[in-house]
Amino acid sequence: MKIDHSQPLEYSTHQNQLNILGFWIFLGAEIMLFGTLFMGYFTLEGRTGAGPTPAQIFEITPVLIETFVLLTSSFTIGLGIHAMRLGRKNAMLSFFAITLLLGLVFLGVEIYEFMHYYHVGATYQTSAFTAALLTTLGTHGAHVTLGLFWGLFIILQVKKRGLTPQTANKSFIFSLYWHFLDVVWIFIFSFIYLKGMM
Amino acid sequence: MKELFPAKQVMGFVASLVLTLIALLVVFTDMSYTAGMTILLVTAFIQATLQLVVFMHAGETEDGWAIYSNILFGIVIVVLSVLGTLLILLWDM
Amino acid sequence: MEFFERFAIPHPSPAIYASMVAIALVTIGIIAGLTYFKKWGYLWREWLTTVDHKKIGIMYLISALLMLFRGGVDAIMMRAQLSVPDAELLDAQHYNEIFTTHGVVMIIFMAMPFIFAFMNLLVPLQIGARDVAFPRLNALSFWLFFAGAMLFNISFVIGGSPDAGWTSYFPLAGNDFSQHVGTNYYMIAIQISGIGSLMTGINMCTTILKMRAPGMTLMKMPMFTWSAFIANLIIVFAFPVLTVALLMGTTDRLFATNFFTSDNGGMDMLWANFFWIWGHPEVYILILPAFGLYSEIIPTFSRRNLYGYKPMVWSMVLISFLSFLVWTHHFFTMGQGALTNSIFSITTMAIAVPTGVKIFNWLFTMYKGKIRFTVPMLYSVAFIPLFTVGGVTGVMLAMSAADYQYHNTMFLVAHFHNTIIPGVVFAMLAGLTYYWPKFFGFMLNEKIGKWAFWSLTIGFVLAFFPMYITGLDGQARRMYTYSEATGFGPLNMVSFIGAAIMAIGFVLILWNVFYSFKNSSREIGSDPWDARSLEWATHTPIPEYNFARLPHVNSSEAFWDAKMNGHQLFRGEYEEIHMPSSSGVPFIMGMIFFVAGFSFVFSLWIPAVIALLGIFFCMALRSFEKDDGYHISVEEIKETERKLGGAK
Repeated sequence: MKIDHSQPLEYSTHQNQLNILGFWIFLGAEIMLFGTLFMGYFTLEGRTGAGPTPAQIFEITPVLIETFVLLTSSFTIGLGIHAMRLGRKNAMLSFFAITLLLGLVFLGVEIYEFMHYYHVGATYQTSAFTAALLTTLGTHGAHVTLGLFWGLFIILQVKKRGLTPQTANKSFIFSLYWHFLDVVWIFIFSFIYLKGMM
Repeated sequence: MKELFPAKQVMGFVASLVLTLIALLVVFTDMSYTAGMTILLVTAFIQATLQLVVFMHAGETEDGWAIYSNILFGIVIVVLSVLGTLLILLWDM
Repeated sequence: MEFFERFAIPHPSPAIYASMVAIALVTIGIIAGLTYFKKWGYLWREWLTTVDHKKIGIMYLISALLMLFRGGVDAIMMRAQLSVPDAELLDAQHYNEIFTTHGVVMIIFMAMPFIFAFMNLLVPLQIGARDVAFPRLNALSFWLFFAGAMLFNISFVIGGSPDAGWTSYFPLAGNDFSQHVGTNYYMIAIQISGIGSLMTGINMCTTILKMRAPGMTLMKMPMFTWSAFIANLIIVFAFPVLTVALLMGTTDRLFATNFFTSDNGGMDMLWANFFWIWGHPEVYILILPAFGLYSEIIPTFSRRNLYGYKPMVWSMVLISFLSFLVWTHHFFTMGQGALTNSIFSITTMAIAVPTGVKIFNWLFTMYKGKIRFTVPMLYSVAFIPLFTVGGVTGVMLAMSAADYQYHNTMFLVAHFHNTIIPGVVFAMLAGLTYYWPKFFGFMLNEKIGKWAFWSLTIGFVLAFFPMYITGLDGQARRMYTYSEATGFGPLNMVSFIGAAIMAIGFVLILWNVFYSFKNSSREIGSDPWDARSLEWATHTPIPEYNFARLPHVNSSEAFWDAKMNGHQLFRGEYEEIHMPSSSGVPFIMGMIFFVAGFSFVFSLWIPAVIALLGIFFCMALRSFEKDDGYHISVEEIKETERKLGGAK
C-alpha cells in the first residue's frame, strides 16, 4: 500500500481516493432517493382523505429543536475533521462524540414527534399524505440511526488503532454522510414543515 | 484551542443559522405563497451549497470536477423530475 | 398445517407440478454431483468467495443465459397459446402470470446481468486496471442480483407468481385485485437485485473515473467503456427511484398504507409515474452497453477506426440526460393534459437524434472497410436495419395524439421487442461470440454460429413483424385469447412459427458451446480476431492480475496502434502487485437477503427481523475488518508470465 505523504491522511492511498469518490457518487444516488420521496410527498400532501392536513399536525417547537441540533452537529463534525487534519486525535474524538450525542437528541425528538402524530390520529395508514410524510421523515431518521452506529464504530476504531490512512479515510467519509443528512434535513425543514405551516 | 475553530467553518455555521432564521420568517410573518416559496427555495439551496463547499470540501482534490458534475447532474435531474411529476399529476391533470 | 397453507399455489396446473418435481430433481442432482466429484471446496474457494471481476463476470453470464431460457420458455408458451383463436392451452390466470414473469425475467434478470457480465469482464481490461474499484462490493452486487433472481423464480412453485404485468400498475397490483403473494415477490425480488445494480453503478463509475491506465484520458477510452460509464451513471440516478417506488408498493401491500390505493387519498397514477422515471432510463441502461459492444465489433471486422469517436461520445452524454426527460410517453393516455403530452412528445422525438447519429457512425465505419462476415459481425450488420425499424416505430409511438391508436396494442409489443432483440439480445450474442475465446480459451464454431444467427434473425422477423399489423388492426396486448371472427389467427400463427424458429436458434447456440468445447483448437493465441483495444493485449487465459505491467496508452485503439506502429504498450520493470483477498461475506449476505426477502413475501416477521439483524451484523463486521489484501511477488509474476508465453 503506497502512502503519499503530501496528501492529507484520508487521501493518502489510491484506495482511499477511490473510497471518497465512490462515496460522493453514492451521495448522488441519495440525492435522487430523497428527490423521489419529495416527488411523492409533493404529489400526495394535499390528498389527506379523511385524515388531518399538514397544518393541523405540524408543531414548530420540536421541528426547531431538531433543526438547530442537526445544524450544530453538522458544524461539530466539520470541526472533528479539521482536528483530524491537525493530527489532534483527542479533540477529533470529542467532536465526533458531541456530534453523535446531538444526533441522539435529534432522534429522540423525532420519536417524540412520531408519537405526537400517532396521538393526533395521523398514523402510517391514515391517508396518502401521512404515508408520504412518515416515509420521508422515516427514511431520513433511519439514515441518522444507521449513522449513529456507524459513527460509534469509527470512534472505537480511531481510539484503538489511532489515526491511520484507513481510519482517517473512514472518518472523513462518515463526515460526508453526516453533512449530507443535514442537507436533506434542510430541504425537509423548508419544503415539508415550513411550507406546510405557511 | 483557537486553532480547533477555523474562521471559515465558524462563519459557515453562523451563516446557516442566519439562513434558517430567514426561512422561519415565512411562518411567523404574513406573506403570499409565492413570496414564501421564493424565500424557502433561495435559503434552502444556499444552505445546501454552503454545506457542500465549506463543510464537505467537495472541490479540494483533482476529482473536484467529477464530484461537482455528479452532484449538479443529480440536482438537475431531481428538479426536472419533480417539476415533471407535478406537471403530470397535479398542474395539468 | 394452517401455517403451511400460505405456501400453496393458488392456481395450480399439471405443468407447475411437473416443474416442482423437475426443480427438486435438478437440485438433488446438483448436490449429489458436487458431493460425488468432491467439488464443494472448489466451488467455495474459486467461485462463491471470489472477488475477481472476471469470475464474477462469468457468473453473471451463466445466470443471464439460464434466465434467457426461463424467459424464453414463457415466451414460447404465450405464442403457442395465441397461435390459434380460442386456444385452451393456458387459461387467463396462467397467461397473466406468464407475461408478467416473462417481462420481469427478461429485463431485470436476463438483460441486466448480461450487460453486467460484459461490464465486469471488459471494463477493467479495457482501461488497463487490475480489478474494479471495490472488488468486495462487486461480489456483493452479484450475490444480491442472484438472491433476487432466485427469489423471483421460486414464486411459481411456492405461493404463486406475480400476475399484474411487468409494470405492475396499481390498483391492479394492490391488495384488492392481487390477493395472493405473487406481487409481493415482484416488489421484493426486484428491490433486492435493484440494490445490487445500484452498487454496481457506483463501483463502475468510480473504476472508470479513477483507475484508467497511464495516458488514457477520458477521450481515449474504448467505446465500450464509454458506454458502460454512461450506462452506470444512469443507473446511479435511475435506480433510487425504483427503490422508493418498490418500497411504497411493498408498504401498500404489507402494511396497508395508501400511496397507490384508490381511497384515503392514494394515487395509483403516482406508481406509473415513478415506475417510468426509472423505467425509461432503464431502457438506455440496457441499450447503451449494447451500442458499445457493436462499436467494438464493427471496427474490428471492418479493419477501420470507429468513425466519429467524439460524436459517439457526445451523443451518449446527451442520451444520459435526455433519457430522464421522456418518461411520460409510456402513459400518454393516462389523462394528463395536451400541454404535458406535447412536451414529452418533443423530448421523445429529440432523443431519436443522438441515436440516429450513432447509426450513421457505424455505417460510415463500415464504408470502404475490409469487412469480414464473422458471426459477431453478422449480428452487428443485421442489427442496423432491424433496430432502425424499431426506432422509427418508436417515433410513431412518440406522437402523443397518434398514441391513442397504438397504445396497449400488439403494435407496441412489436416495437419494443424490435428494439430490445436486435438491439440488446443480438449485441449480447455478438459479444458472447466475440469475447468467448478471450475468457474460455477456444473459439465458438463459426458454421453453427451462422446457423444460429440466421434462425434468430428470420425467426425474429417472422415473430414480430406480423404484430405490427395485428396491432394496428386492434389486437390488444396481454389478452389471453381472441375469437376467430377477429381474423388475427393466421398472422398469430406466423408469429408462433417465428418464435419456434428463434427457439431453435437458441438451442443451436447451446449446442455450439458444447460442440466447440469438444472440438475447437486451444491454440488460438491471445488475439484471434486481430482486434483493436486493450483487452486483447493480455494473455489468454488472463492471469488473475490482468496485466503484469500496466499499459501506457496514447490513443483510443491502443492495442491496434501498438501492433501497427510498434508503440510500446508495456514498459518498465515488474513491480509487486497488490490484490484484494477473497471473502465469503458477500455470498452469505446474499443468502441472508434471500431469507429476508422470502420472509417479507410471506409476512413472517420473526425470521424477517432476524435476517435484517444478520445483514446489519455483516455490515458492522465489514466496518471493523482490517483487510489489506495480499501481494504477488515479482518472482511469482515472472513465473506466471513465463508459463503464459513470455511478456510482450
